[in-house]
Amino acid sequence: MPSIVAYHRPTRLDEAVNLLIESNRLVLAGGTAAVPRARADGLNAVEFVDLQALGLDRIDNAEGRVTLGAMVRLGDMADSDSVGSLPARLARRELPSIMRDQATIGGTVAEASPDSVLLAGLLVHDARVEFHDHTSLPLALVLDDGPGDKIIVAVDIDPTGDGAISATGRTPADVPIVAAVARSTTSGIRVALTGVAAAPIEVDPSDPTADLMPTSDFRGSSDYRLELAETLVRRAVGEVS
Amino acid sequence: MEITFTLNGTTRSISVQPHETMLSVLRGLGMKSVRFGSDTGETGASAVLIDGRLINTDILLAAQADGHQITTVEAFNAAELDAVQTAFMATGALQSGYSVPAMILGTHALVAKNPNPTEAEVRDLLSGILDRETAYVKPVEAIMRAAALLRGDKTEPFAPAIIEPLTDGHTPVVVRPDDQAPDFSLAVPRVVLSPDVPEMSVVGKPEIKVDAIKLVKGNPAFTDDFDMHDMLIAKVLRSPHAHARIVDIDDSRARALPGVHAVLHYKNTPRVKYASGGQSYPNPHPHDQVSFDNKVRHVGDRVAAVAADTADIAEEAIRLIDVTYEPLPAVFDEREALIPGAPVIHDEADTEGIKDRDRNIVHHIEANRGDVDHALASADRVFEQTFRVHQVQSTPIEPHISIAWLDSDERMVVRTATQVPFHTRRMLAPLIGMTVKDIRIIKPRIGGGFGAKQEMLIEDIPAHLAIATRRPVKLELTREEEFVSSRTRHPQTLTFKTGVNADGTLVAQSLRVIGNTGPYGSHAFTVQVVTGLRALTSYNCPNKRFDCDVVYTNIPVPGAYRGYGAPQGEFALEAHMEDIAHEMGFEPLEFKRKNWVKLGDELDIAPHLGERAVAEGELDEYPRVTSCGVEECVAQASRAIGWHRHTDPDWRQPADRPNIRRGIGFAFCMHGTAIPFLDMGGCSIKLNDDGSFNMLIGATDLGTGADTVIGQIAAEVLGVRLEDIKVYSSDTDMTPFDTGAYASSTTYISGTAAKIAAEAVRKRLKERGARLLGVDEPCTVELRDGRAWAPDGSSVSLEEIALDSLHIEDQEQIMGTGSYFSPECPAPFGAQFAEIEVDVDTGQVTVVKLVMAVDCGVAINPITASGQVEGGLAQALGYAHCEEYALDDNGRMLNAELGPYKIYRADEMPDIEVYLVQTMEDSGPFGAKAVAEIPMDGVVPSIRNAILNATGVAMNELPFTPERVWQALRSEA
Repeated sequence: MPSIVAYHRPTRLDEAVNLLIESNRLVLAGGTAAVPRARADGLNAVEFVDLQALGLDRIDNAEGRVTLGAMVRLGDMADSDSVGSLPARLARRELPSIMRDQATIGGTVAEASPDSVLLAGLLVHDARVEFHDHTSLPLALVLDDGPGDKIIVAVDIDPTGDGAISATGRTPADVPIVAAVARSTTSGIRVALTGVAAAPIEVDPSDPTADLMPTSDFRGSSDYRLELAETLVRRAVGEVS
Repeated sequence: MEITFTLNGTTRSISVQPHETMLSVLRGLGMKSVRFGSDTGETGASAVLIDGRLINTDILLAAQADGHQITTVEAFNAAELDAVQTAFMATGALQSGYSVPAMILGTHALVAKNPNPTEAEVRDLLSGILDRETAYVKPVEAIMRAAALLRGDKTEPFAPAIIEPLTDGHTPVVVRPDDQAPDFSLAVPRVVLSPDVPEMSVVGKPEIKVDAIKLVKGNPAFTDDFDMHDMLIAKVLRSPHAHARIVDIDDSRARALPGVHAVLHYKNTPRVKYASGGQSYPNPHPHDQVSFDNKVRHVGDRVAAVAADTADIAEEAIRLIDVTYEPLPAVFDEREALIPGAPVIHDEADTEGIKDRDRNIVHHIEANRGDVDHALASADRVFEQTFRVHQVQSTPIEPHISIAWLDSDERMVVRTATQVPFHTRRMLAPLIGMTVKDIRIIKPRIGGGFGAKQEMLIEDIPAHLAIATRRPVKLELTREEEFVSSRTRHPQTLTFKTGVNADGTLVAQSLRVIGNTGPYGSHAFTVQVVTGLRALTSYNCPNKRFDCDVVYTNIPVPGAYRGYGAPQGEFALEAHMEDIAHEMGFEPLEFKRKNWVKLGDELDIAPHLGERAVAEGELDEYPRVTSCGVEECVAQASRAIGWHRHTDPDWRQPADRPNIRRGIGFAFCMHGTAIPFLDMGGCSIKLNDDGSFNMLIGATDLGTGADTVIGQIAAEVLGVRLEDIKVYSSDTDMTPFDTGAYASSTTYISGTAAKIAAEAVRKRLKERGARLLGVDEPCTVELRDGRAWAPDGSSVSLEEIALDSLHIEDQEQIMGTGSYFSPECPAPFGAQFAEIEVDVDTGQVTVVKLVMAVDCGVAINPITASGQVEGGLAQALGYAHCEEYALDDNGRMLNAELGPYKIYRADEMPDIEVYLVQTMEDSGPFGAKAVAEIPMDGVVPSIRNAILNATGVAMNELPFTPERVWQALRSEA
């Protein structure tokens, strides 16, 4: 029988929090991943709590940082002049046009796809994830552990600094097999990789593959991914140095 | 739950289920322009504007749209077309048109935001709408043109560019480096005219497609666009095992589910053997399938089917069917399937015609001319190489879909997305226990086929269920089902052995092929025959041998895919010839030119291959090349690609990009036109009161423009405008027989049938016209501009003739019929060039540009013809570069979605430039030869040879993915 059995659209955050106390209720952001996954799953009945009416779709600048509401569409981020050139570029690179206009930044964080170049970019832009209870965590921790039972309400980044992406895929716009994203900061260069761990991961630019054990798949073996990581980090760093 | 939204300006309040998608709601509200392509938002076919943004409705819950403004293309459907629709029609951006409504909506959204978009912005817009037909070339042009029209800019009519010939038609020329190709938009077809071809009124003109209006308006046109009262939905239970015996099926829980009306499987369905490949009678053996078997032979194989009130109930019922499997060992590689002790895929007793059941050999095919062994022994040099080609799928955006019902006469009617309606009717009859006369197959518009729909793939399932339930039943495959249970290109292992004399003359060539047909024979025999045909007829050589085993394995089923065995063979051939040239110190293009077939040459092994093969010695005369424009093709395409750069070391290794190597590759292309002595098409034409004509054809337009092209042929004969020919195609009750859309046959075969029918009508029009004009000799009357003209310049309109003949004197219906089959198979030729870059550190290959010049005889419609070439090049590019079936050790497909499988998007396509080089093929209608499949042939070897040119590395296995190239570079180092 249908696996999506109810739909809720709260208009206040506390209403959303209360709705999500039930274990079979899931946050619905853009729905690009959650809807097809739930519809394909005929076994587990879920209820969606749609965050579209909570006003979480603003991009705000304050004190040198940018706060992206969880429901900001990647398309809006890509078109924004205020999020920094690299994050905007990576938002465009992340998905094709229509999906980009449906997917949200909060949903992207929650999905934690290992291949997400946008998440790699957010890592090097010092992203912190803000939750409904006014707490926040570095993005890296959220990618490792997930948001748990908290609602992501925003992602906060430092938009400054020059950035670069170096990627290898089957075709120019393919989801990269491995991508390296670098950003120069006043304290040095920060680098993150996709395609080498369970989620995008920030690495030491001087030893980018230390402790990495990528999983092989049909697009690239583990050894190949490590080789790519070394090469692509070198290039990305070279570009921003 | 209740939702309220604004649809095309009207407020709607409706009740929906929480799991319902907006796609299903909108289609239920009659918005048939919103179409299904996947469940994952990947195709963009379902996109509509929501609050001005283009949004995929297949992944949007209806509830999410509550309170929003929704616009579908129906909102723009005034009596007059708008600027965007006009631009799409004028530029030939429509092939099947399945996803065009989404493109039109996207154009409106883009232009509203930015009235003057760049091409990059247009391509970015189109990145969300996958297209397997156009390579995005003409849609990009359409959107740029639409933006200009909306800005009020003046635009020139979209028309072919006439290019001056560079050769005399036969003699090679060397293009100077400073000789630049004319600069036109890439969407503009470049046409090189032949002095042998007369000027015509309709043929050769860029006529707008006859089905264009319904496609740009998103009118109901496709199988799923017509609602049936009381229709049930079918779902299929598919095997999780690559190879297993079904010990038992218990369907009691499924049958008990409310809303379930039938559950079918091997226990309650007649066991009638058949072969699913859509081919002429008698279908080649083995007939190794039944509707539902007690054994499964690949992951995704049929196990059972359900008909229920809704898709949700049908899916639940599928889950409630209890199947007891006995898993069996499986084999996936064609070479391993031949090894003694390999699992035997077909051990049942009732399949006849398997060559060697115990070794999984379905067919053994051999053809010989001359004495290959002797010639190899005496050749100055002998070269042997093995190549491996992989499994891919054509992935039409419209999946397979069929709706079956019993009409009021209790005849079975099946509306279905098929390339072969007449074969389907004949093949379906025994499976459902009905006669051919009691079955009607209707082919509406099709959202792409490319061979995947040259199959009686699913029609028996809704037909069985319609008989069981006495209600209409619809079966539409999901995208995952399309991948695992539809049809694919055959993987093969190909070994060439060639003897060459010191002067570069070929003296012997043999090709050994092991073809992988998966678990069913389907097109096994004929596809491998075409591999041999195409791989061994392109070059002159007195001694040739084709030796092929086609074997069963447990991969998803291969079948027909555009090119039909030729792309595999031509990859191996053109790679092999390239490497021989390098080994012997010849310039590759010159070495190939020295040996390729030319006008008048024999197609020497062709008669020894195929269903009607004859042995050497039984043949009086070999078929010959009757028209050939390859030298002009080489000249035009080499100029367009900048061929001279391939020997420039500074260009090949750019100083400012140390990790990049550049290369250009060439491939000689030669294909066939239809299957001689086999393909046949029919046509009937009748005159209407107003001097227009109804034309009925069995030919199957898949989006290729066949209806338009055949209409142009008839219009040319009858001296009328294309718009005066009303074309109706492919309905087995209404239209004459046609073998179907495959083998690059439609223009040549069905077009000639139309020409014959039109000539019969013309004869009678001239006779009646002569009488009205008082002319004694009807043969002196001419038809043009919709009138019959006497030698003295007087004339009557065809309307006057029609009214006279239908109502006034000696009343008669002026009509004509024609059918045609051909003893000939004239070859189209082509020159394919590819420019690429290789990142030698990562192995990533970037294809920068593809240029193809094609001699397709006379292109009846240069816009649709160039569109065919563009689309074929894009599919071939995917075959070469990125698409592949990834199976795990258990035969499960790991990437059964379009993203992971990897279809090229608009924003990453290389430049594509197409030349149409005219020749006059006397056997074809107004000089036409084939064009649809030849673009599949040269891309793979030209990219391979470009990689060789760039890096010195010979890639003999497909596809050229980064790690594969990187490994080859490391091995070379």
